[in-house]
Amino acid sequence: MAEIIAHTIPGELHDSHAHPHELSFFRKYIWSEDHKTIALQYLFTSMAFLMIGGLLAMGVRFQLAFPNAPIPLIGTLLPSWLVTSAGAVQPGGYNGLVTMHATVMVFLVIMPFLIGVFGNFLIPLQIGAPDMAFPFFNALSYWLFLCSGLILLSSFFVPAGFPASGWTSYAPLSSHGLFNGTQAGQSFWCVGLFVNGLASIAGAANYITTVINMRAPGMSMFRLPLPVWALFVTAILLLLAVPVLSAAAAMLFFDLNFGTSFFSASNYGQPLLWQHLFWFFGHPEVYIMILPSMGLVSEIIAVNSRKPIFGYKAMVYAIVAIAVLGFIVWGHHMFVSGMNIVLSATFSFSTVLIAVPSAIKTFNWMGTVWRGSIRYTTAMCFALGFVSMFVIGGLSGIYMASTPVDLFIHHTYFIVAHIHYVLFGGSLFGVFGAIYFWFPKMFGRMMNETWGKIHFILAFVFFNCTFFPMHNLGLNGMMRRIADPPLYDHLRSSQPINIFVSVSAFCLGLSTIPFLINFFYSIFKGPKAPRNPWESNTLEWTLPSPPVHGNFATTPTVYHGPYEYSVPGMDTDYLPQSEPAPEAAKLAAH
Amino acid sequence: MLDDKNQSSKYDFPDSRMNESQYRKCGFAALLILVLLAIGVPVHAAERTTGLWWMPDVASKGGDQIDQLTYFIYYLTGGVFVLTQIVYVYFLIKYRAKKGVRATYSHGNNQLEIVWTAIPTAIFIGLWGYSNHMWLDILHKEPPPDTMQVGVTAYQFGFSFQYPGASGNLGRSDVKLLSASNLFGNDPNDPITKEDFQSSVLELPVNKPVRIRLNSRDVIHGFYIPQFRIYQDAVPGRTIDWVWFIPTKVGSFELACSQLCGSGHYNMKAPIEVVSQADFDKWYKGKLAAAASASSTSAAAPAK
Repeated sequence: MAEIIAHTIPGELHDSHAHPHELSFFRKYIWSEDHKTIALQYLFTSMAFLMIGGLLAMGVRFQLAFPNAPIPLIGTLLPSWLVTSAGAVQPGGYNGLVTMHATVMVFLVIMPFLIGVFGNFLIPLQIGAPDMAFPFFNALSYWLFLCSGLILLSSFFVPAGFPASGWTSYAPLSSHGLFNGTQAGQSFWCVGLFVNGLASIAGAANYITTVINMRAPGMSMFRLPLPVWALFVTAILLLLAVPVLSAAAAMLFFDLNFGTSFFSASNYGQPLLWQHLFWFFGHPEVYIMILPSMGLVSEIIAVNSRKPIFGYKAMVYAIVAIAVLGFIVWGHHMFVSGMNIVLSATFSFSTVLIAVPSAIKTFNWMGTVWRGSIRYTTAMCFALGFVSMFVIGGLSGIYMASTPVDLFIHHTYFIVAHIHYVLFGGSLFGVFGAIYFWFPKMFGRMMNETWGKIHFILAFVFFNCTFFPMHNLGLNGMMRRIADPPLYDHLRSSQPINIFVSVSAFCLGLSTIPFLINFFYSIFKGPKAPRNPWESNTLEWTLPSPPVHGNFATTPTVYHGPYEYSVPGMDTDYLPQSEPAPEAAKLAAH
Repeated sequence: MLDDKNQSSKYDFPDSRMNESQYRKCGFAALLILVLLAIGVPVHAAERTTGLWWMPDVASKGGDQIDQLTYFIYYLTGGVFVLTQIVYVYFLIKYRAKKGVRATYSHGNNQLEIVWTAIPTAIFIGLWGYSNHMWLDILHKEPPPDTMQVGVTAYQFGFSFQYPGASGNLGRSDVKLLSASNLFGNDPNDPITKEDFQSSVLELPVNKPVRIRLNSRDVIHGFYIPQFRIYQDAVPGRTIDWVWFIPTKVGSFELACSQLCGSGHYNMKAPIEVVSQADFDKWYKGKLAAAASASSTSAAAPAK
């Protein structure tokens, strides 16, 4: 078989003899039912949304550092709901920026990056399947996702603009046009999330079915690579949690537009009901956004340490434990919401318990690099960075889990720091690492390692400069979602920290430029990738780069787990899952 | 009293424990300020001149306890962070790929897994016990009998306060009665309601327990006083009456809304004045007299 066969780049000739029949351009690139093409569709779309979400964050940080200063260059071009006539951000518009930054990053960037891109790309390849169980649903899922993104972003053009009640959209602020002043935008938000939920549910049902039914012979559950385990469990979380958000979004839409009162204080409605529904989805959502990244990072660390993952089964059990506990901790977002304070104690208890499996995972990653032989590829740098940042994000979570301390730091920048350490330093670093790691398999070319390292160092340094001081701002008592902090006596003296954070944030934004250039240049001009550039064990690396439609010419047979690295008695330090161990190899039971 | 929003710098209360941690942060702060100066960012005239990286000085009794717990978690998490990162970075340097050196083949160690499951579990449950004991102590315990009750109503975008009259008790209230003309949802049939008076400032006597009766007229607002380490959401449709605290320092503070509540959220606040008991009594008598004369002139128009 030729080394490079299929291409996903429009305009290039396709080597047709690998296929029984030639697909039309439309079926190959637009309505493609090939999981790899869908993964790339997700990849390019999420990258575009990442840029948009990042620009929104720049707007937020500009206003916080220089309150009421006109936005340079583009200020006067922006609509009047967002800026004053001089081009400075308005308080209401600021709320819109904050709301959309978070909504875009959560629903249109992190989730599709992890689940849309790597779920689609890796699950069939790593379990030895030709495609997903329901290819049609898979394509539908992508197009629904794209629609949801366009609906959410088109709220920019409606009267009063972006929804402005935060990504959590607490009712009754969100449920009455009179209160929020952005009825149209808020309605778009509900519809957008509802459609986004359909995309997630279609994807999740597909992943679960695929993992259960389509594993290659010999691929038992405990031989699954950890990314597949993480994505499988995540899909279960999605299937259980997302419908709750969809229902809540529909109820909110009715409250907003048809005068129902599910969430209003009058007419027997209940504002706290929204918070319970939202966080019943919202907390599993946090794990939906970190578990796949943990799986990807586990793979990258094991491969680049040339060592089996430390405690494979402990890692799997930890993922499952996080998923189960993730459904009974939602109340920790509501310690000070007016919920019964004895109930808070219960949620505080389940919250400290969920820290345990996270700690187990961290120790296992450290155990994996211990006595390894670490190759510092860019992917590995991001994965190792993930571990440190996740430790910070995890430890700062303990402050919030402690109910009395939460009284002080709830809804301050401390929590903003915490969530960004988990979602940016955690999830997004994992995504960057995974892009560098699987890029050769996706595009058949290598990315530039030097520019990759430059990207990593810039991102790592400016990430910490941006988000670490936010802990201090939180301890200063700086509330979230306030457009003009120096208006408050206790925050006036913190303004230099805000300026420092913003300047760092701008640099962090700019640090993606080397990545983007490297990414797009390498798609076309990078050196040709071999089948297995990282000398990895999992099944996708036995295929050509990129793999052809249908993946495996013959169904592979799996002989052992995915992490048999540096097995004694072998010449090479890796042992692909589809190759039987040679006689001399001394595999250990585990 | 009402107009001194910018005077909180006058009240600089030394606290030795706080200052130790400020010094610890000094090196990092100095470095950052150098960077800021180097890039020519104007540093605003500061209100707090020390400890800019740390918590504002605590000014309530429960707040003291919360700070102790915060420090405990700070040392615990800080210690864990430093230890794990030292070990981690040491591994990363020591076990970098070298020619001819192979990684050790090991799938892990079940005893180690048990150890590093059990130890964090024990620590976390212990921490939960400590936290929860304090949580119930601060919020769930009945306040002392001499507690003053103050009604607080939040609305887009401000706060109003209601003080009890001579009887020392606020009139009955019901969230269903809350409206623009009846900000506190008072029951007009309760005789002591008429004695209550309103204020735009939260005036509090120092060292006296105060219990708030918290309502919201429209959306969810936050009742947040960072110096008191206290935060509670005000939820429309329900009255929250379990929050109480004891201010321990004379001074001016700000009550801030910390729950996104709309386009005016960024500037939703109210002044808090903690004064000596004598000053408070003077203020209280003056307000009471003013309210009495106002109600006697408007007595012909009964509240609806």
